[in-house]
Amino acid sequence: MAARKVVVRRSRLAAGRRPKPQPNGRTRASADAQLGVGVISIRMYRVGFGDCFLLSLPVNGGERRHILVDCGVHARGDIGSIDRVIDDIAAETKRKLAIVIATHAHQDHISGFGKRADVFSTFEVGEVWLPWTWDPNNPDAVKLQAKHAALAAALNDHFQAANTLTAAGSIAAAAADAVVNLSGNARAIDLLVSGFRVGAKVRFLKAGDSLGDPAGVTGLSVKILGPPQSPEFLAQMDPPAGQHYLRVGAADGDEGTRVEPFAARWKIDTAIGDTMTRLSEADRISLEAAASSPPEELAFALDQARNNESVVALLSYRGKNLLFAGDAQYGNWRWWLDNEKPDLILPEVSFFKVAHHGSVNATPKDALERMTDGGFAAMVSTQGTPWPSIPRVPLMQRLSEKTKQKLVRSDWLPVKGAPTPASGSLPRAPGAPPPGFAQGALWFDCPL
Amino acid sequence: MALERDERSEVDLKDPVSRPLKAYAFDPTQGKALGNYMTVSVRYLPLLRAGPADRYLAVIDYDATNKCYYRPVDLDDPAVLIRSGLDPAETDPQFHQQMVYAVASETIRRFELALGRSIEWSFSRRRRGDPSESGSLRIFPHAMQEANAYYSRDLRALLFGYFPASTTDSGANLPGQMVFTCLSHDIIAHETTHALVDSQRDFFMEPTSPDAPAFHEAFADLVALFQHFSFKEALLAMIQRTGGAIYQSEVAPERQPAMAGGFIQAELSSANPLVQLARQFGEAMGMRKALRAALGTPPNSRMLETVWEPHARGAILVAAVFDAFFTIYVRRTQDLMRIARLGGSTLYDLHPDLSNRLASEAVKTAEHFLNICIRALDYCPPVDIRFGDFLRAMITADSDLVPDDPYGYRIAIIDAFRSRGIVPEGAASFSEESLRWASPEIFDGTSLPTCKGLEFDVFKHDPDLQKEAEKKNGGVLHDYAVANQEALGLSAEEGMKIQARTFHEVHRVRPDGEVLFDFVAELTQHREVPADPQNPDAGTFTFRGGTTLVIDRAGEVRVAIQKRVGAVADDSKNVRLKQQRAYLNDRISSVGMAAYVTDSRLAARLANATIDFKLVHRGY
Repeated sequence: MAARKVVVRRSRLAAGRRPKPQPNGRTRASADAQLGVGVISIRMYRVGFGDCFLLSLPVNGGERRHILVDCGVHARGDIGSIDRVIDDIAAETKRKLAIVIATHAHQDHISGFGKRADVFSTFEVGEVWLPWTWDPNNPDAVKLQAKHAALAAALNDHFQAANTLTAAGSIAAAAADAVVNLSGNARAIDLLVSGFRVGAKVRFLKAGDSLGDPAGVTGLSVKILGPPQSPEFLAQMDPPAGQHYLRVGAADGDEGTRVEPFAARWKIDTAIGDTMTRLSEADRISLEAAASSPPEELAFALDQARNNESVVALLSYRGKNLLFAGDAQYGNWRWWLDNEKPDLILPEVSFFKVAHHGSVNATPKDALERMTDGGFAAMVSTQGTPWPSIPRVPLMQRLSEKTKQKLVRSDWLPVKGAPTPASGSLPRAPGAPPPGFAQGALWFDCPL
Repeated sequence: MALERDERSEVDLKDPVSRPLKAYAFDPTQGKALGNYMTVSVRYLPLLRAGPADRYLAVIDYDATNKCYYRPVDLDDPAVLIRSGLDPAETDPQFHQQMVYAVASETIRRFELALGRSIEWSFSRRRRGDPSESGSLRIFPHAMQEANAYYSRDLRALLFGYFPASTTDSGANLPGQMVFTCLSHDIIAHETTHALVDSQRDFFMEPTSPDAPAFHEAFADLVALFQHFSFKEALLAMIQRTGGAIYQSEVAPERQPAMAGGFIQAELSSANPLVQLARQFGEAMGMRKALRAALGTPPNSRMLETVWEPHARGAILVAAVFDAFFTIYVRRTQDLMRIARLGGSTLYDLHPDLSNRLASEAVKTAEHFLNICIRALDYCPPVDIRFGDFLRAMITADSDLVPDDPYGYRIAIIDAFRSRGIVPEGAASFSEESLRWASPEIFDGTSLPTCKGLEFDVFKHDPDLQKEAEKKNGGVLHDYAVANQEALGLSAEEGMKIQARTFHEVHRVRPDGEVLFDFVAELTQHREVPADPQNPDAGTFTFRGGTTLVIDRAGEVRVAIQKRVGAVADDSKNVRLKQQRAYLNDRISSVGMAAYVTDSRLAARLANATIDFKLVHRGY
């Protein structure tokens, strides 16, 4: 591979601030001047535990069009950088976004839209792309969202109440953090569904959709690989039937949802005499435990369902294929691996936005193995807080091998007070961007 | 008031043979049509407690959602006895208890008749030393408010849920009406079968491959569906409506409508309940049809490569068996239909005598097939069941019993399985001879000495003598296994003990009257294997292997069905081990929790967990 000139770009902070020289002593140059004509650039911001990617596409006439994919951070993984990130986006794009893609309704992907709604509403946005499960005109979607919302609220109550008793690092703590991700998204969702209230065209996408020249970006063709709209997939997304799930955390017997199957005269509170079989206390407790679902199980199930509604988009522009996989997990991947033509798609991928922050079940082995060795670059926006098991070390290592080290993680960027990668987890000395990438204070750039 | 025994008249009243109990043949939505209000002749067993409870089952009506008991029924009450049980009523929990007891008992009885021995539950076998725990299977007819029903080995129970029907799309149910899974004949038979299969092969509940949970589901569906063919009234009605083609899923209307689209019920075509499973449940969930159907999947030899969900995968096996069943039914009734056509009979309006003969053929064929399936359990390997193994077991079981096969049952089974892509491992071809399990001599030429010293006496009634005989047989088998390890496909490596897990005599009666006596034994071994050879932190899982032996009276090993554990040195080439490992990793990947907890804990948890039917059934 020919040696590439390492490009260092000046970070465009709010007007008036002078950019400081970089620690490694390299001089800066303006982005436009250095970036050659026709170079696609993908910028991964370090927001903490979350995703925020800015795609910059060169169009005829020397102009650039921008696509923003997600902007959010998990409350328990917030390093305080998202405000500066949004300012940088505003400056970089001159407040003009061709497309905004919100992959799914998790705090760590859309909180930025809600928190800085004031900034975003000054933007000029061409199109907003959302998963079909957000479509207020689709009855299945509306039903699903209502169920999810009720369950998330109940789980939130439960985990808030149990807060002080949860040991750090336990499964309950992991579940509680998953539930945090589900809350507080109403404002962001509202803003996105309304097209930022600036008249942007809102598209609700499902697997199998194809878009040509969207938002007036000629030459861009997009294939949507997820989420599917099949009944089987919907069944997987549906929280388990049975009213009692909504009573999780409620005080003993919320009369509204529990039903009494028989008239009162049939009920007896305890086993009468020796004429009937008696349940021992231990048995009774195990039966009651079996009859309900532990809230942790529900929390993870709901989290997985929400991740699986991620928009998975393959953007093809000027011969490069960029795969943005959101937080898609096994169910979402499996659908398009079985129903689309992965052998035609995967080997041609030039850029892979690693799904779900590099977790174990978000990049199926057979998908990764089908990508071409050394043929693509990958970026993963992640950090070890709040879940130490994310990103998964063997996956990171395999990605590094497959991309021939053209891989960056967002937590390599030094930010004051923010966690660094754990040892054994591909750590890297801060200040030296890997070959082929450029670096700023809060971002990595990947030119293609 | 019951009289004392010696106060009765001189007629010596022995225990009755059967106890009649009313139940629904399908579920409450069929009303009284098609003989839905049926009377089950349950084998008479003395009831130990109200509930009811006998030595196999204990019905306990405790509701874990409402945290209360419901009044247990006393089936020995004269008022109940004289009526052949309580009348069917959805609002009477005592009828539910009665129905659950009746259908579960009937399913157990079918298994015992087919296998030729008594059932002992898997959990009662394991807890033999503990007298405080009764060995009976508990049934909770109203266990929880959930659209689910399942068998739990940990709780030693069948749990049936109840739930309000969908308010938007409830089919034949009232929107929001209470639907009880314990009132569906199919669901009770299905769940009881899980417990029965577990009693014969308890390692089949370990998730070794996608076929493992799918096999359990398929077998349970098979038993539930074959039970339909013992409902004479429904069978006769369907024969009339389909002109003898009872495999159709939709039956023609009673009267062909004059104009397009019928107006009255008699002009509308309806579903054939014989080939459908759990209609009320499916409709209550808004599916607008039954939960599953016997011939739900068309023959497609590539389906097994893409379908992984247990019910969907199991449906392929069910469709294969039913394909064969209906083919044989058609073959057996061809002469009757020819005679009928010669006599000028049309396809509809069959003569009642002809209907009766067709019905008897259907009943007989269904019995044969159900028996083949149940007996095939004895000829399955002790661990890691695959669909192909079950095919070979069915062929072997039938060949033993009916050596000449005038109607071609075995060819029909083989063809049906082949067209659905079910491929047996280790067989040379799809011919009957290759599919039959063979002794090691025929299989690979190793000679095997006879197993001497097994006690075959089937007439022992004294439990102590029986225990002694069992102990002795266990010892003999173990010594024989150790002495002939290589020949039997067992590993001789250090530390891998051979367990003579279960063994029992089997007696079968051939159609020509000859009685076969065999001894079936399961020998198993296991070792701990790393979940990820490259990552020692990922923990280990248990890899099992073993051999099922069928030994005849002379001590000759007629059949040895092997699943090798293999040597540690050959692990990188052990295909079965690699497949199990891949499946385990797949399972970990599809669990939402997997992303958030560290490797070793999760792998260990999932690896050592048995199939959780609660979760499997939640996906219906």
